[in-house]
Amino acid sequence: MNPLIPLMVILPIACALLLNLLHKKDRTVKVLAIVVALVLPIIPLLASYGLHFFGGYYPLSENSAIAGGLPSYITNSALNVFHPAITYSFESAQKIMIFILGLIAFLAIFTSLNETKRPSGVYAFLMFMGTASVTAILLSDDIFNLYVFFEIAAISQVGIVIASGVKKNYETALKYMILGNIAAPMLLLGVAFLLGVTGNVNITDIIYSIKNGIVSPQNPVLLMACGLIVFGWLYGSGLPPFHTIKSALYSKALPHGAALLQAFSVFTFVGLGIIIIRIFSYLPFSKIVIIVISLLAMILGVTMALMQNDIKRIIGYLAVGELGYIGLGLGIGTAFGITAGLFQALNEAIITAFLFLGFGTVLYITKKSDTRKLGGMMIETPKLALVVLLAGFAMAGVPPLNAFQSKLMLIQASIQAEVPELGIIMILISIVTFMTFMRAFYTIYMRPKPPELQITNKNIPKATIISLLVLLAICIILGLYPKIATNYLQVLANSLV
Amino acid sequence: MVVDTQLASFFTAGALIVIGIFAALFLDNLIKKVIGLAFIGDGVNLFIITIGYKPGGIVYIFLPDMTVSWFAQNASYPLPFALVLTSIVIGASTLAVMLGLIIILHKKHGTISASKILGE
Repeated sequence: MNPLIPLMVILPIACALLLNLLHKKDRTVKVLAIVVALVLPIIPLLASYGLHFFGGYYPLSENSAIAGGLPSYITNSALNVFHPAITYSFESAQKIMIFILGLIAFLAIFTSLNETKRPSGVYAFLMFMGTASVTAILLSDDIFNLYVFFEIAAISQVGIVIASGVKKNYETALKYMILGNIAAPMLLLGVAFLLGVTGNVNITDIIYSIKNGIVSPQNPVLLMACGLIVFGWLYGSGLPPFHTIKSALYSKALPHGAALLQAFSVFTFVGLGIIIIRIFSYLPFSKIVIIVISLLAMILGVTMALMQNDIKRIIGYLAVGELGYIGLGLGIGTAFGITAGLFQALNEAIITAFLFLGFGTVLYITKKSDTRKLGGMMIETPKLALVVLLAGFAMAGVPPLNAFQSKLMLIQASIQAEVPELGIIMILISIVTFMTFMRAFYTIYMRPKPPELQITNKNIPKATIISLLVLLAICIILGLYPKIATNYLQVLANSLV
Repeated sequence: MVVDTQLASFFTAGALIVIGIFAALFLDNLIKKVIGLAFIGDGVNLFIITIGYKPGGIVYIFLPDMTVSWFAQNASYPLPFALVLTSIVIGASTLAVMLGLIIILHKKHGTISASKILGE
């Protein structure tokens, strides 16, 4: 077993607990948080692929010492291959996804600790807990374990919003929790249905039971389980009808918090989406459902973004729209389409974090996020304006940036799968995304500065600028060399078809 | 009339979930909403416990005077109970966070009416 696999979850949790205890010891909090955050993206790069069985409980087929003493009616049955412990699966797709998540977490934590004079141990605690939870969602092959971390991620997200101190943050946090406490039990009920039918919570074992006829694939309880898990998926990733509350959540967080929150949503979307495809892809309508939800997310996301005046809300809704692209890739269902969708997920997490941090500089120097009260920022921060413009270009899919490659792949996948209509919709939504971004960019940077607008703090921390440059570099590298990411994702995509 | 214990438990779980969803969506008092949410969680927990129920079954503890085959035939399925324990802890945590938020919002707004605090 590779000890680095559980370490990806255990290290941020341990660091989070320590940071909570060290709250108010500013220097220690800062050093510890930055060092551990820097290690987060490194661990997946060093870890080797494989499974990790908690407690060392291997399946009987791999554990001759125990299997030898058991009666044949156990060792000759499916129990021989079932997983008796919580299992984490670490493959190439997880490697790149956890690396990107760790990198965004590092940049968000690094930025937050340098933007505030007195770093909060509690705030860093929440960021680490959220990161650990979403990493566990990506790794876990146990659907109940996934539900547990799904809940921890939700509470961490609420905590990040509560700790932000933004006006009306408590109201939004409570709203999100109320909806979450309806959606999460529904997800658990879906897990319970699966447990009731298959007697298992291990995803590989559930699939084994369905594929080998131990459970009838036509069992209506499986259909109900699918519906309930999809409902939890919609909530966790902020898809319609939860897009409004999700974007409200982003808008009530600080920019570095929002950058991390959206990464949580993207990777929760991918993690749960892959599980839904793995278990329920035999249902004839499963792909159609994913496509319909994705189209709704794209259309509602960009149209709602067009109507907003708050910077963070605009990006929040655009992020929901971009989730739709990932869903379309998964819904098209070919290996190429799924690879494109997963690549789009990586790109979206990077670009949206980039946009939140980029527009966050405007918030930092003016203390305002309402675009109607902003203007003339091009004169105040001309170099940053160029960086933010590039972030917007990346989101809209302008070459040679990363989302161009993933969106091009998605369009090609839709043509290959003989659904070119989806490709046309993707192009149209990209155009509207570009328009929405340019509208926000114009009002903030290019129109004359309103006389009442005060610049309260012109010195943007170097940490923020470094973070933005790192994200820009990744956008360009992945744009020029997409195979760096797609090679890692192809293996998973092939296994899902 | 003999009522099937497992079936009765499933119905109770269903009733708890339905009542909980109604309270969470339609009641204006935030505390009542939270009670409704607790009902949903409890209903789901009861549902999971009921899955593991076995008529006349024994607790999943292997004692020295038992044989393996007798134990395998009579012990109830332990996994649901283990899961519910975790689920209860999660439920308690989320409930505590929500109640904490309501206390802060009550101090801020002077009311616990959802329509006044949360808007719609």
